[in-house]
Amino acid sequence: MSELTMQDAKSIIEDQIETLKKRNKEPEWVTELRYKGLKAFMEAPHSDPVLNDPLDFIVQDEQIPEIHDLDELPEDMKKLLDSLGIAEVEKKYVAGIAVQSDTSMVLNDFMKAWREKGLIMISMEEAVREFPAVKEKFMKMFNPYESKLAAYHTAVWNGGVFLHVKSGLKVPVPMHLFFIIQNSAMAQAPHIIIDAEPGSYIHLIEGCTSPVLVRHSLHLDMTEAYIGDGAKVMLSVLQNWPEYVHTRPMTRAIVGKNAEFINTTVGLGTGRSNIANPRYFVDSNGYAEMNGILLGKKDFYVDIGGEIELVGEGARGINTSKSVLMDESKVITRGLIRAKAPKTKGHISCDALILNPKAKMETYPGLISEVDDAELSHEAAIGKIREEELFYLMSRGLKEEEATQLIVKGFVDPLLKDIPAEFVIEIRKIIEMSLGGM
Amino acid sequence: MNQLLRLENLKVYVENREILGGVNLEVNSGEFHVLMGQNGSGKSTLALTIMGHPRYRADGVMEYKGEDLKSLSVDERARRGIFLAFQHPAEIEGVRIIDYARLVLEKVRAVPREKSYDMVVEKGMEVNLGEEELKRYINVGFSGGERKRIELLLALLLEPDLVILDEPDSGVDVDSLSLISKKLHEMQKSGKSVLLITHYGRILQHVESSEVKVHVMRKGKIVLSGHRDLVRKIEEQGFDSLFKECGCNE
Repeated sequence: MSELTMQDAKSIIEDQIETLKKRNKEPEWVTELRYKGLKAFMEAPHSDPVLNDPLDFIVQDEQIPEIHDLDELPEDMKKLLDSLGIAEVEKKYVAGIAVQSDTSMVLNDFMKAWREKGLIMISMEEAVREFPAVKEKFMKMFNPYESKLAAYHTAVWNGGVFLHVKSGLKVPVPMHLFFIIQNSAMAQAPHIIIDAEPGSYIHLIEGCTSPVLVRHSLHLDMTEAYIGDGAKVMLSVLQNWPEYVHTRPMTRAIVGKNAEFINTTVGLGTGRSNIANPRYFVDSNGYAEMNGILLGKKDFYVDIGGEIELVGEGARGINTSKSVLMDESKVITRGLIRAKAPKTKGHISCDALILNPKAKMETYPGLISEVDDAELSHEAAIGKIREEELFYLMSRGLKEEEATQLIVKGFVDPLLKDIPAEFVIEIRKIIEMSLGGM
Repeated sequence: MNQLLRLENLKVYVENREILGGVNLEVNSGEFHVLMGQNGSGKSTLALTIMGHPRYRADGVMEYKGEDLKSLSVDERARRGIFLAFQHPAEIEGVRIIDYARLVLEKVRAVPREKSYDMVVEKGMEVNLGEEELKRYINVGFSGGERKRIELLLALLLEPDLVILDEPDSGVDVDSLSLISKKLHEMQKSGKSVLLITHYGRILQHVESSEVKVHVMRKGKIVLSGHRDLVRKIEEQGFDSLFKECGCNE
């Protein structure tokens, strides 16, 4: 239990708001919103299966040395990066696209060229300062009174990105955004807005597959995605947090008419806890995919919800998860599809591979139809590795560990179809390493 | 002639129920053996037992190159040079044939990664499997003939000393059959030992018959051994009359 009182928390958050206000030279509406968040924090309900006391995640000043680039990482973390071959891929991306370190974005030539065509990718701090239109999109899908965590994010959000794709613009290469180094004394609470105008296309890769150096035990990101009519947005989220990190990603999306939103979360290291409850609203003939790959290790606790509301006629939604459970991990999936309009279709599928009898998997698919001609279905398969598969692979000389790795990588493979090859290679290596110590 | 496989009074149990009741068989290097018998006579069980399937508990002598096989795990047996082409190979969702074949080449035969891709593609062409097919998941959505050719491809890549093929001709089209038969002949010529389980003599069309040894299984035992003409006899008159003739019915 925290030794803080709510009153202490209030003054800590107030200090943080004032610091952010000064540092970012924010417009007034932003600061007002922060104070609204603080007020909500004092009043909103709190329920969380892991973080019992909301005061536990209020961050006070911590003395951790600042780190500016990969070379300054601690030796053991550098070694891990090297052994994964990750540093090379990420260095390439650092040089190639856009990196966010704290609140400044590095824009290179590629980004400058695309800026002229109508692609804006800037830090959220800059966005609220420079683009008045952001006000119309910021915190419109969330209400800070929903929960103490949503309120806390509203009050102290920092970092994040504003991505705007002009009508009809199709961006052929994936944009990679990752949060690797955070110097600030705040909780990591990036706010992300994706604003894809009608007919546009973009693929955003968010997060980072390398062990992220975070100073705080709470990662509280919020994503708001506006997907215009006929637009297509792919959002691939790669998580590989150290195990002491609690993550509470919050995602909302409005998917327009004939639009598509493909969201794949790859949780290789989801920390001690990862409670997520994304919600998508899909308009007429729109399509939303909510895919999750979860690797449960050690005593990880992952509780991942996902709600798709089919609000327009002919809207479709698919919620697929594939979980691999090792050690004493626990994974809970709660997909929900709500059909509110005629001729809608929804499907939930949940597969899990249990590699340790002490691991636990629970799945609660939910289908709600408010109309009489929706097609909703679900399937689930939870089990161990089949003996016949293992025997087949081993009968050509692979050791049990090698055969198991192959089966596990194969199990998640169908969901990696949209992830760039470099990352797929990394993801496979991380799976191999995780299974190596079984 | 070097002795490869020696089975002496081999009994096999599944959960304490005896399913093979004392099999005797010797396979020397370079020999071509054919194992026939009605369905349920124990042919596949014998093949899986030699390979080390965990479901089957073996008792009696089962040696390979003088070493007791019973104490070796399935992968160790494979590394010693035993290969089983399955009658019903497992489907493995998400694992591509090419990735599996390359990993096996790398781990078992120490082929460098930069060479393995071309090796697999080249051998794939020999068994009519193109690059596109090799990038598909193992046995998922493949026809009977394709599955048997995938098994054959792995045998060709691994270059084992003892190749056991469990009905490589069942559920296979004429073209695949001819191709498999030719490959069997190539294995025979290159000095590999073959133990072929089959119901039909047609698979032997390209195999040199003078060197073929034929065994017939009945109720978990080898009851009759002979030469190529035994195959023809079985095809002409069937097992029942053959068993009557030789007094193999108890």
